[in-house]
Amino acid sequence: MQAKQSKANLWETIKSKYAIFLVLVVLFVICSLLNSNFLTWGNLTNISRQISVTTILAFGETILIISGLLDLSSGSVMAFAGTLSVMCYKAMGEGTGAMLVSILVAIAIAMFCNALNALMVTTFKAPAFIVTLAMQTMARGAALLLTAGQNVYQIGNYTVLGQGSVWIIPIPILFMIFFFLVTRYILSDTRFGRSLYAIGGNEAAANASGIAVNKVKTAAYLVNGVMVGMAAVLFMSRVNAGLPNGCIGYETEALTTAIIGGTSFTGGIGTAGGTIIGAFIVGFLNNIMNLTSVNSYLQQIIKGAIIALAVIYDIYAKSRRTRKKMGNIEDKAAKK
Amino acid sequence: MKKFLSLALILVLTLSLFSVAFAEEYRVAYIARAQADSFAAWLANAVKEEAEKYPDITVDIFDGQANDETENSLIENAITNKYDCIIIQPNNGEAQRPYAEKVVAAGIICITTNARIDGIEGASSVDADPYEQAAVNARYALDKVPEGATAVILRGPAGNFHADERLKAWKAEFFDKRPDVTIVGDDYANWNKDEAMALMEDWVTANEKPIGLIASMNDNMCAGALEVIKDNPDYKDVLSFGVDGTAEACLLIEEGRMTATCLQNAYELAELLLDTSHKLLTGEETQIDTDVGNPLYTIDNVAELREIHVKAGALQ
Repeated sequence: MQAKQSKANLWETIKSKYAIFLVLVVLFVICSLLNSNFLTWGNLTNISRQISVTTILAFGETILIISGLLDLSSGSVMAFAGTLSVMCYKAMGEGTGAMLVSILVAIAIAMFCNALNALMVTTFKAPAFIVTLAMQTMARGAALLLTAGQNVYQIGNYTVLGQGSVWIIPIPILFMIFFFLVTRYILSDTRFGRSLYAIGGNEAAANASGIAVNKVKTAAYLVNGVMVGMAAVLFMSRVNAGLPNGCIGYETEALTTAIIGGTSFTGGIGTAGGTIIGAFIVGFLNNIMNLTSVNSYLQQIIKGAIIALAVIYDIYAKSRRTRKKMGNIEDKAAKK
Repeated sequence: MKKFLSLALILVLTLSLFSVAFAEEYRVAYIARAQADSFAAWLANAVKEEAEKYPDITVDIFDGQANDETENSLIENAITNKYDCIIIQPNNGEAQRPYAEKVVAAGIICITTNARIDGIEGASSVDADPYEQAAVNARYALDKVPEGATAVILRGPAGNFHADERLKAWKAEFFDKRPDVTIVGDDYANWNKDEAMALMEDWVTANEKPIGLIASMNDNMCAGALEVIKDNPDYKDVLSFGVDGTAEACLLIEEGRMTATCLQNAYELAELLLDTSHKLLTGEETQIDTDVGNPLYTIDNVAELREIHVKAGALQ
């Protein structure tokens, strides 16, 4: 009887903790059966390369969403920071020094935009949704103004980061892994990470317990800025141009990735592991639908349905956890 | 003498004031489809530049932001502001049609461009024919694509007039005449380079036999597809086609990586737009419908395309 109960408990733990991983494994198996090209090294690196930029953005979004914030400006800020970075690289006459400076320019611009977002959110108590929407418009306008709406071409060796490889692993994938480790470390092993969860879970309680809420929120936006800046460099480098009208809708893709990965839109819940799994789920889906020539309208319906299912599952899991907690409290009270 | 000089000065000043007051100055509103669209931005910049050649015309540029409602509101505002001429670059011809009709009904000169809105009585138009832009590519490809080749199609946004007409041309002028060519990929990349890259990566993986033809509805998407296969020796003979004649397409043709592009010349369009506006505003003509050419650029004449971009400052 006890063995049966412990088995049931184990299954419950697997279901609640690793459900998203199980989804990924099942999807992987289905995709492998559907198309023989899916399970090839070339295709798997393709998928990883294709998702790397949005996954880096999604790590930033995960950090923000956990603390009850979000960033709708990341796509436009990427276009602004990336285009400026490309222009800077060209102006400096290429070379390693120019590359380093242009990376720093992209990161600095993205951090500056995010610092403005943070300022509006913390000082003026404006909703993050509205603030970042405003930044989205401003950053896109700045990118277009900077280039008169024209793409910047002939970017030389700027393409190395987005198109090059270290041994057989494409460089964008290495950056994705690096930012995964950074996000994981921040969320699991730092006081800052724990503060993010506390603020997202209950801001008033976090404030009462002595957490410097505004400082933590500002830091969250700045970390997001670093990721947006680096994603901008990788994007422009991958497409071999400075595209002021590029990255449209990337913020939505990043949000989708984080939510599918189990980050709760209401804050307080989410992991770096979940986000990377969410990214691969989206990547596998996009890839298999292209490999099997699924009609592109149908692709949109399928992707939309999966987002809806992920959110419903999130709400369901959360209410179950709450019910379980309430049950435990009632049991303890009854025992007393 | 002093009195005479003072009188003469007063007379000259008065006459110059009168001449300024009575000189006809025409106000033109140019409603661009979307300044974020690189071709639309190029055209808007070219219109602004061309307007400097007309001392009696001032042009104000407005951004429709690829949004029908925004564009329609801008047209209404231009009517309220009593512009002498309103040039509309529609986001969606049918959505802007009633508003273009309103312009005509308000007694304001209306010109539709890139793409024209057909059948508006009293309105004029300056355009490039999107069907013909792709058709010149398709006809060129007809005897160049090897027997039994595979092809991929990169589409522009669904419902976009130019995207739909270009696709129609490829189907009628190439694929219907070459049933031996198999389409192994056909999807929307929405004019975007990065979306085209992701699609091409998947198509290259899905097809063991190298793809022989890339039929792209614009240059940007074609450049994205070519970026994926640039170091792949299996793809050294791929034929690829785009429309717009962008600076990037020019470079790719020079490098021998892209086969051809049809130029949609923003400068020529802008020249014709201002010339048409001026003729209509001064009453020289009452209605004009005209088109720019659809020149095809390949490795043989790409130097001419480079010249255009050097003049524009897009290439050195």
